[in-house]
Amino acid sequence: MATTQATINVSSDILSYPISISKTMTMSKAANPSIGLDETTGLRTKKFTSTTAAVIVEHDELTDDKAHKLYIRNAGTSKSNFFFVAYNASAAAADTAETIGKLYGGDWMLMPYDGNVNITVASSTASETQYLEYMVFADGIVAAKG
Amino acid sequence: MATTTATISISSSDLMPGSPLNISASSVLMKTGITTGMELMEMGNAEIAKDYEAQLFADGPATDNGAYWIYICNTTTEDSTYYIEYKLHETVIGRLYAGDWMFVPYNASDGDAEVEVKGLIGINKIEYSMFKTAWTLPAAES
Repeated sequence: MATTQATINVSSDILSYPISISKTMTMSKAANPSIGLDETTGLRTKKFTSTTAAVIVEHDELTDDKAHKLYIRNAGTSKSNFFFVAYNASAAAADTAETIGKLYGGDWMLMPYDGNVNITVASSTASETQYLEYMVFADGIVAAKG
Repeated sequence: MATTTATISISSSDLMPGSPLNISASSVLMKTGITTGMELMEMGNAEIAKDYEAQLFADGPATDNGAYWIYICNTTTEDSTYYIEYKLHETVIGRLYAGDWMFVPYNASDGDAEVEVKGLIGINKIEYSMFKTAWTLPAAES
């Protein structure tokens, strides 16, 4: 069994008193939370030069209804350009069902993922190249696919 | 302008044998498409009982296709098998087990994309925050 830990720290002065969030989790399997996730699709980088939607995680590589974790980061720096990220077979746009959100340059996300539908992204711009980093921490990879 | 900074570090010495994993990233949360920091937020905690489906954030008060950030942590300690489902509208995205946290963008995509959580096993305790570009509180009843 592997041990993979993820720590988040959020600090903010939005309110009149300091906001500080700090949490660490150990990524664990659904069937037995005492066992750590021990598979991954690997850390990947993809270049985008158009606004055409692309599937970055094919759900049929992963076991359905599990406790996968998905990390994505927009490796760019532009706060004008972004990626739509969607839980959808093939589309990613402002109102795709279901669009998770937008990742601007430098933004990152970590979310639980059940592995039942593809994760699709689309760049907001074709005039500037954007790069996306992503990695699935898998609670089961389908041997014939992964 | 407020400054909200979110950092992550992911590490594992044995997930990929021979290749220790160390990921770190940091981002300052900005309003939609500009370099002004977010100035609105809300946070709270709740208990989510088994089979109870709760609307954590309605999308009505949000600006469609805006920039928002959601943090949810399942702080349950009683039993590691307890979990909630994280949902957008009626679609399950993933499971958040006891001790797990998530941090995701949210764009209030189409006026019908509320954020929901559903308890599946046990009584789950959660903490949550939303960092917002804009938000309109419901009007008072007359």
